[in-house]
Amino acid sequence: MTRRSINRRTFVTLAGAGTAAAFGIPAYLPRIGEAADTIKIGLVEPYTGTYAALAENETRGYEMAVDAWNKRGGVMGRKIELVKEDVQADPGVGAQKARKLVDQDKVVALAGTVSSAVSLSIGGVSNSLGTLFMDSGGHSDAVTGASCHWNVFRTCHSTWMETHATGNFLAKRFGKKWYLITPDYAFGHALEEGFKDVLGKIGGQIVGDALTPLGTTDFSSYLTKIDAVKPDAIIVLVQGEDYTNCLKQMAQFGLLKKYPVGGPQVELEPVLSLPPAARGGYWGVEWYYKSELTLGKNNKQAQQFVADTIKRYGQPPTARNCFGYVTGDRLIATMAEAKTTDSTKLARAIEGTRFTSIFNGSAYYRKEDHQLMWPMWIGKITEEGAGGDKFNLFDILDTEPADAIEQSVAEKEKVCKLGYP
Amino acid sequence: MLHDLAPQLFNGLVLGAFYAIVALGLSLIMNLTGTINMAHGSFMTLAGYLAYSLVLRGTSFWFALLAAPLIAVMVGVAVERTLVRPLYRREPFYSLLMTFGLSLIAEEAFRLIWGANGVPFSPPAALAGTVSLGFMSFPVFRIFIAVVLIIAIAALAFFLTRTRYGLRLRAAVQDTEMIAALGTNTQVLYAVNFGLGIFLAGIAGVLAAAMLGLSSTSGNALLMPAFVTVIIGGMGSLFGSVIGGLLIGLTISMTTLFIPAASEVSMYILMAIVLMVRPRGLFGEEGIFG
Repeated sequence: MTRRSINRRTFVTLAGAGTAAAFGIPAYLPRIGEAADTIKIGLVEPYTGTYAALAENETRGYEMAVDAWNKRGGVMGRKIELVKEDVQADPGVGAQKARKLVDQDKVVALAGTVSSAVSLSIGGVSNSLGTLFMDSGGHSDAVTGASCHWNVFRTCHSTWMETHATGNFLAKRFGKKWYLITPDYAFGHALEEGFKDVLGKIGGQIVGDALTPLGTTDFSSYLTKIDAVKPDAIIVLVQGEDYTNCLKQMAQFGLLKKYPVGGPQVELEPVLSLPPAARGGYWGVEWYYKSELTLGKNNKQAQQFVADTIKRYGQPPTARNCFGYVTGDRLIATMAEAKTTDSTKLARAIEGTRFTSIFNGSAYYRKEDHQLMWPMWIGKITEEGAGGDKFNLFDILDTEPADAIEQSVAEKEKVCKLGYP
Repeated sequence: MLHDLAPQLFNGLVLGAFYAIVALGLSLIMNLTGTINMAHGSFMTLAGYLAYSLVLRGTSFWFALLAAPLIAVMVGVAVERTLVRPLYRREPFYSLLMTFGLSLIAEEAFRLIWGANGVPFSPPAALAGTVSLGFMSFPVFRIFIAVVLIIAIAALAFFLTRTRYGLRLRAAVQDTEMIAALGTNTQVLYAVNFGLGIFLAGIAGVLAAAMLGLSSTSGNALLMPAFVTVIIGGMGSLFGSVIGGLLIGLTISMTTLFIPAASEVSMYILMAIVLMVRPRGLFGEEGIFG
């Protein structure tokens, strides 16, 4: 031990410096003048856990929007900066991170989320802080319904829109006797209610309703019951990894070939993680990168967005990229037009304003509930990518206009009170 | 009723065999070294991803089914040697915390290597489709899984009871110092034992990846039931792990049939009942952790 060339003091100094370098402590030190220079937007996404893939794609959409604006010189002479926080699909963590972003990072607005539960919790916190919150990817009706707030806007479709866009199509195509596979939590029950409303109006019937706990791995117990009731169609409401597990097992049990399958919503991400034999059915689609029905004819902005995304990230944008881009672009555009970052003024400027973007036609965040009123589409999933493009798995068949699928203003006003200050 | 009950019974047994084989790996490692391996699920996921990558590179599913768990074993033995072994002489919660941390690191590493999105991995065409058993039809792949798991459990039983090395392993569980004094290299014994546990997890991981989904978090979903299996079967008893696994599989599938909403909670209720009536578990030994 006499040849020890590093003594304790040296070690502490070296280790301390090393740790500081490794964990980037300088990044936490205030950089003088920065706060005044950039406009910060706080991104709250589940970067770890089940929803990580969706969070990543939403973030890419935001990045595209922010970079495009910064290239044009930013807003009011200031650059836009995204500050990202991982909310882990946990409402508690979401609330805490939202507070941190507003109090410490001084963001002018919050945006993001995949899980509806997190959207609702951040909606509440941001309302108490008086900060704008753009819910780009949490679908629960309550966000623009019973739990709506003046400062909360939602880009993706509500569960009501999803069920009403797809319900009539599925009933007309396959028949009115359905077997539902429903995730047993708020989101699943909201979808279930929506479909009951659709079926009630046309005299349909739910012949079986399998309530599956979130995170179910083995669906066999629910699938073996289906033959006994012989439904016209199997309607799958589970999402994410549960969706992959469910569809894969339906294929193994031979149900995909035996019964028509469909659902209120499908995302490209989980379909990509399915083997070809488990791909199929008719589903609600929120946006798609390769269809004139979703993008519109000669929509330069959309074509540019698709091409740039492929170039930058090596894969085409999904509906999640679209949510991020549309939300980010709209928020920043409004700051530029209204020349303000004040929450109340921004909220007033966003609501009701018609705009065009990377989808077909124009849309607006409805004044009464802050839901983005844009169409939904019906798509058929194909087993292999068409035209040599392995991502091209949807065949878009039909458009459902926003007014026909969302609850009317009169209905919404009964439950939603925005409560401007 | 038979129409519903028979397929459910079979489903329950297949599911139970899964839990059993994961629990067996956990038990092996826990019995000999007192290590509660929280990273066990990560090794399952690792084997699943390795099999996926192998098949993607043109190897057959059958080769991958054997090769992927073996590669996972190599990683496992390296982990045992470098990270777990220094903690053997400490209290169990040191290795518990370490392996828990390892599982978090593994999850992020899988995400970096194979992407945040799940990947498509399916059984080979020969095992696709269903067989009709007259009153019900059942996926061929599930029957295959049942057969593989039964063979794996039988092979483990044979190894532990009928071979010299298995005998040493069992003896070491009872008295490691004596075994060392008698001339067995216990360090190698620890490594073999750890590797054996990981191999079982690897087989389960590849089969689960083909039957269910494969993403960075998928192994952990099967880990919790496996821990409950160990507790119900009784710590220290491998036979208990097998019985415990089958019992949980059947309990879950039967509750799903009659009270679907309680399917998730049913195994915990079963655990509570077993712990109340027999705190050491069905076949457990008293005071396994001294």
